[in-house]
Amino acid sequence: MENRKLRIALTKGRIEEKAVSLLEEIGYDVTDLREKGRRLILSIPDEDIEVVLAKAADVITYVEHGVCDLGVVGKDTIMEHGGKFFEIADLNFGKCRFALAVKKGTDFFAGYGVKTVATKYPNVTRNFFEKKGIDVDIVKIEGSVELAPLVGLADGIVDIVETGTTLKENGLEVCEDVAYISARLIVNTVSLKLKQERIQEIIDLIEEKLK
Amino acid sequence: MKRNDLLTPEGTRDLLFEECAAKREISERLTGLFESSGYSEVITPGLEFFDVFNGYVRDFPQEMMYKLVDGKNRLMVLRPDSTIPIARLCATRLRDEKLPLKLFYNQNIYMVNPKDSGRDDEISQCGIEILGGKSDAADFEALVLAAKALEMCDEDYRIEIGDMGIFAELMAEYECSVELAVNTRSWIETKNLPKLDEVYSSENIPETDKCFAEAFRALPRLFGGVEVLEKAKEVLHGEFFDKKLESLEQLYEDLSKVIPKEKIRVDLGLLSRKNYYTGIIFRGYVEGYGQPALSGGRYDRLLGDFGRDAGAVGFAVNVEAVARVLLQKSGERYKKHPNVIVWSEEPVLALKHCTELISAGYCAVNSVLGTIEETREYAKAHGIKRIDTAEIDGKIKSEEV
Repeated sequence: MENRKLRIALTKGRIEEKAVSLLEEIGYDVTDLREKGRRLILSIPDEDIEVVLAKAADVITYVEHGVCDLGVVGKDTIMEHGGKFFEIADLNFGKCRFALAVKKGTDFFAGYGVKTVATKYPNVTRNFFEKKGIDVDIVKIEGSVELAPLVGLADGIVDIVETGTTLKENGLEVCEDVAYISARLIVNTVSLKLKQERIQEIIDLIEEKLK
Repeated sequence: MKRNDLLTPEGTRDLLFEECAAKREISERLTGLFESSGYSEVITPGLEFFDVFNGYVRDFPQEMMYKLVDGKNRLMVLRPDSTIPIARLCATRLRDEKLPLKLFYNQNIYMVNPKDSGRDDEISQCGIEILGGKSDAADFEALVLAAKALEMCDEDYRIEIGDMGIFAELMAEYECSVELAVNTRSWIETKNLPKLDEVYSSENIPETDKCFAEAFRALPRLFGGVEVLEKAKEVLHGEFFDKKLESLEQLYEDLSKVIPKEKIRVDLGLLSRKNYYTGIIFRGYVEGYGQPALSGGRYDRLLGDFGRDAGAVGFAVNVEAVARVLLQKSGERYKKHPNVIVWSEEPVLALKHCTELISAGYCAVNSVLGTIEETREYAKAHGIKRIDTAEIDGKIKSEEV
């Protein structure tokens, strides 16, 4: 267990692709990451780094527990999941936003009735409306949230919006932005202190590239 | 109704055998260290009134406390922290005792963690408090003891020092909403650099507040060796900060005479959510545990909050976390097997022989099984190497397994 390799957790999927390209840009050998097959633990040979592929929320869990030192994960997951870790850098990819959307032409804030909001992100939604001092009923939806206002379950939705095409095609429109989202580099609080030089070196390389 | 009688609650666990041995060894080493340094032991109740942990200075988040009610319908909590009850103790039963008081404790705290987070809700802590005394001398002693405590747990440790006073002073001078102040503290604590850079970017901050913005952005980046304190001078200006940084430098220098330099780290972005900390705060890290294994700091307002005006400093070690790390590194060491198992048809003879073996220094276990065959099987399964049979005529027959 002692002297284990430095371990980086990447969120599988789109963030992973961009993150692998970033690692390549800072000069790491990412052949193993590109030819991964079904393996979940991969290596960057010359750097003595292990890369772990995981679902977004699990990246946070692994980093928080210190079994992975660094992680790349979307701000959306950080906002929804929370946790104890350092959020060191904005990686400037995977950009989108959380927004409150409603049926086109309706006013979400009109009247005094308690509104219902459908979302995949109940914590983000609760925090947003708490800050505004507005009581809302939150309904958690697992699939396409856009359906909820259309069938009359909710007055609005809080969801990730990239281009807005899905909203438009379903007769919805953004009524207010909730938060800006992009991929973040997170670090375990103890790892940063025990392996400061090694981790700082990676952070510096990445920050240099992002400039 | 679903019965939960076969499970332990989430965040708790049964400790078995070598886990107990490792945990006991750690707490014995630590209490030994504290006791031999002249600290006196206290135990505070596991149950306390909710009010003890609720106030401005002692603002324990209520959603993190296990609550129940007493016979008079008053709100109670399972002790979520040991420092606050000890401050209460110092201001009440110990109010006529002369300061400084040096106390240590070895007890559990309880907190409600988010569901499925895999964190412990029951945490065993062993720690000290120095109540009263000259603050820089007490801080120094607390840090040296903390380093010694960590060294006893694991050679590969780091002790890290920060100071709540720096942030507090900046916030006292900087005019902003309570919300922004709370958020800023949390962003610095979690080293949320993107957010700090955004909120405190030069475009968003008027010229007059530039120095604060610069300081808030710099604090979480100021961690590492002692050189950090030198760098801090570039962003922290004024008499207060000059003095503060000077005293931190002095503290570092004093410490480095007792502790290897490479073990001492500085992080000026180290802040605590606990409102009672006012001066230096520190953390201890050991390889193999993803959270701080030790944490502590100076709290100069807490005793006053209970009606006895005095400063104090203290820390606690997470005993079970350290024990788990030790077990992973050298678990075999804590596995204890008896050397001998003794069987006899006549229970009196068996126990008599056991007693003889024990006084000769063996770890001897009395077989309470009916036959020698069963005893052999038992010995094999439990790694006991020798079986003694106490025969009716008083002879002892030994066999190796």
